[in-house]
Amino acid sequence: MSGLFDQFKEWYEKRHDYARAWKSRTGGQVVATMCTYTPEEVLIAAGMLPARVLGAHEPQNVTEPHIFGMFCPFCRDSLAQGLLGRFDYCEGVTLTQSCIQYRQAFASWRMHVPTVKWDYYLPMPNEVQSRHARAQHYAEVKKFRDFIEGVIGKKLSDADLKRGIDIVNENRRLLRELFEYRKETNPRVTGVDALYASLTAQFVDKAEHNKELKRVLAELPKLPNNREEGIRFMTIGSENDDVAFMAMVESVGSTIVIDDQCSGTRYFWNEARPQDDPIAMIADRYCERPACPTKDYPAHTRFDHVLKLAQDYNARAAIFLQQKFCDPHEGDYPDLKRHLEANGVPTLFLEFDITNPIGPFRIRVEAFLETLREEELF
Amino acid sequence: MADTAGEKKEYWRWQENCWIDETKDWRAAKLITVGIDVGSVSSQAVMCVDGELYGFNSMRTGNNSPDSARNAIAGVLDKSGMQMENVHYVVGTGYGRVNVPFANKAITEIACHARGANYMGGNAVRTILDMGGQDCKAIHCDDKGKVTNFLMNDKCAAGTGRGMEVISDLMQIPIAELGARSFDVEEEPNAVSSVCVVFAKSEALALLKAGYSKNKVVAAYCQAMAERVVSLLERIGVEKEFFITGGIAKNPGVVKRIEKILGIQAIQTKYDSQIAGALGAALFAHTLVQKQGGAAKAAA
Repeated sequence: MSGLFDQFKEWYEKRHDYARAWKSRTGGQVVATMCTYTPEEVLIAAGMLPARVLGAHEPQNVTEPHIFGMFCPFCRDSLAQGLLGRFDYCEGVTLTQSCIQYRQAFASWRMHVPTVKWDYYLPMPNEVQSRHARAQHYAEVKKFRDFIEGVIGKKLSDADLKRGIDIVNENRRLLRELFEYRKETNPRVTGVDALYASLTAQFVDKAEHNKELKRVLAELPKLPNNREEGIRFMTIGSENDDVAFMAMVESVGSTIVIDDQCSGTRYFWNEARPQDDPIAMIADRYCERPACPTKDYPAHTRFDHVLKLAQDYNARAAIFLQQKFCDPHEGDYPDLKRHLEANGVPTLFLEFDITNPIGPFRIRVEAFLETLREEELF
Repeated sequence: MADTAGEKKEYWRWQENCWIDETKDWRAAKLITVGIDVGSVSSQAVMCVDGELYGFNSMRTGNNSPDSARNAIAGVLDKSGMQMENVHYVVGTGYGRVNVPFANKAITEIACHARGANYMGGNAVRTILDMGGQDCKAIHCDDKGKVTNFLMNDKCAAGTGRGMEVISDLMQIPIAELGARSFDVEEEPNAVSSVCVVFAKSEALALLKAGYSKNKVVAAYCQAMAERVVSLLERIGVEKEFFITGGIAKNPGVVKRIEKILGIQAIQTKYDSQIAGALGAALFAHTLVQKQGGAAKAAA
């Protein structure tokens, strides 16, 4: 969609410039957040800017002394960004527990990125299905609030937290509204557009992001939906901000209409439910969100969730974007593939690294498309 | 690589081939279609008249895809006395498929190999192994040659045709003889531990120093290549109606070892296995031009 999503694109491409400008403009602290289970509401309530650490998709040679080469590319790329000083404007860094590889990347960040003044590890339970999980997470979010109060040197009132929750909830609501357009035939919002919108929500000031989302949502109905959609795809995996890959997929006769990724829907899908206690609102929200495979046991709740997304958005097929060495997602893959295919959603598996070869991926995607199309060649 | 006379000899150089079916008269044909497969190592042009194989040219890929495509088709045109204007439709395939300047359409080599295998091996073919110059594909198809599932090797080109060329040069054995020579051993050796061309070269040299004959080293490399492609095939599943395409299909040292591991005999063909992709492209071109009422002409 030419033009309409340019602000999101610019924010994405110049995310470090944005954060520096925000800091200079507001005098607030920028906090590098690792993993989308981080309760941003608390940071926002404290007047901070949560900025999710994303990779740069460039070859790098700085992480080998710190974490293994067989840690997932996202871990290695995220750590590289810290070691290379790309987040030197961040006072703090936080990780909420998800996978062990990312925890070690975080440990290295806190030890070896000299500009980090404070760090916080939030040990969220992985077994969110346990009857004890919410109580435990409640206590951990409360501790996080206490810690952040120490950082800023003042108390965070319940009203402050509610304000933080409201603004993040509004962002979630607006993103869902935007993603509704992807259900259309010949959707006005492409996968690349949606990726820019959902990714930038993870490091742009939410108030500013909400304002831009509202502007886009007001303009969207005026635009024609005349882009040939081709085959409607869903993407599945962990983090994905490989815009070049997404653009390639959408250039060869397809449209990515929905995802189950932490760079997309898993980040914003559910709002915090109204409750009297804001800490409970926050803690419950993260326990209830669409699960990452690290937090999806003993029951595989995400399998039906993913299938429902595919059905609701009329996805004809799904592409697994598997970060190499990402054990949690790779562990889910065989069963999730079977589940989708048994329900009429064919799948393609692609293994992602820090840099991805577009040419070989293009062959695979085009061949997959050829298997899905009607009998035009026969 | 120098021979005893000091003259540079290219052991890896496989036989280029241009063939026309002299029993057919293209002038009597209603539809003439061409498939161009520009691969990483070899390029083929296949010409079909009324949906039947008429001729082909198989040669080494040059340093750019458009020229490789032009050179490939030029061989068939020259031999048949045909002009490009006589061709109704051209489909490009292979890694250079989008750079075939006179193609009407590009189709992936995965679809084209399946279609080509269906023609060459018959409509019973269900599993296809394409062993190309720098990649390897396992493909499932239906009775029409339509792909139902596929898997490609990962980014590394280990264990593909280019690796065999390197071993050929290293052992100073013409590539066409490698397969037969690999069976001329007293006992079957273990596979080399890596099919990575760089590591395999080092390992092959180490084996020679350890007293292996050249044939035994080649046997160890063929076995390693067979084991690698079988692991790819087993990820997708192999049905007994199994067909092998690509240049390495001409190497019995690899093919027979694959068959032995799988316990399946690959379907034999009278055609050159290397043209499967281009043949599939030419057959798709025939279908596409038929659907357009036969009116299309090859792009300028």
